[in-house]
Amino acid sequence: MAMTRTISLAIDSRPECIELLSHALRGLCGLTALPAADIAKVELAMVEAVNNAVEHAYRGEPGHSVVVELLLAPDRLGLAVRDRGEPMDPRKLTGVGEIAKPDRADPKSWHPRGRGLAIIKSCMDSVEYQVRDGVNVLTMSRTLDREGPGPG
Amino acid sequence: MVLTHRNIDGIDIVALAGRLVMADVPQVRQRLLAVVEQGHGKLILDLAEVGFMDSSGLSVLVSVFKAARLKNGDVVLLHLNPTVRSLVELTRLHQVFSIFDDETMALARLR
Repeated sequence: MAMTRTISLAIDSRPECIELLSHALRGLCGLTALPAADIAKVELAMVEAVNNAVEHAYRGEPGHSVVVELLLAPDRLGLAVRDRGEPMDPRKLTGVGEIAKPDRADPKSWHPRGRGLAIIKSCMDSVEYQVRDGVNVLTMSRTLDREGPGPG
Repeated sequence: MVLTHRNIDGIDIVALAGRLVMADVPQVRQRLLAVVEQGHGKLILDLAEVGFMDSSGLSVLVSVFKAARLKNGDVVLLHLNPTVRSLVELTRLHQVFSIFDDETMALARLR
């Protein structure tokens, strides 16, 4: 019987710890039929979200917890990135549009920083942000092919 | 991340291997900017062995490109895998960087 399974992972807010989440996510994605290109997009979205927690919510300070909850359901892969740092203005997410075409003659238009939310929205089917009881949560979801799990 | 550097006819070629992500940014940026500073500002970044990059890593490439342009030089990207190419295109930086799959052609571009 199809079921929903979750796993929760916590890392310290140090950039070198983020790779651990990537390896765990890739392992989980191996249980799905997601093609490699889509797995890479899910990983990128997660990494960008965790980067934001480390860099912005915790202002680059180590010693804080970033929790990533991974959810595997028959029809979707969900991720929730939680932190207890400084919350983001939710309007930053709703206000994110398509990344503007850079002007090769204008270096100010090249900068990819600050593109994290746009990248996340491009990679995932849905993205939401909530702040509740001091916990900031960025929730993302990717629809899975209903043909079922791939090779384990 | 491992960087290997060689020079052909005044053109610097740096091959990066590993993941280019936030944890690697300070070290990689420092080393690449040093290459630009010490050279002619003509740089090929061979990303064949870069399995994953995030926007932090991409910002390093942009920083290096800006530094090279200040020397009237250029930076081109070589051997992007589909994952890295997808990020470059998603951020539309393929309209800024010249991208090659062949080193000979990348060298010709910078000569």
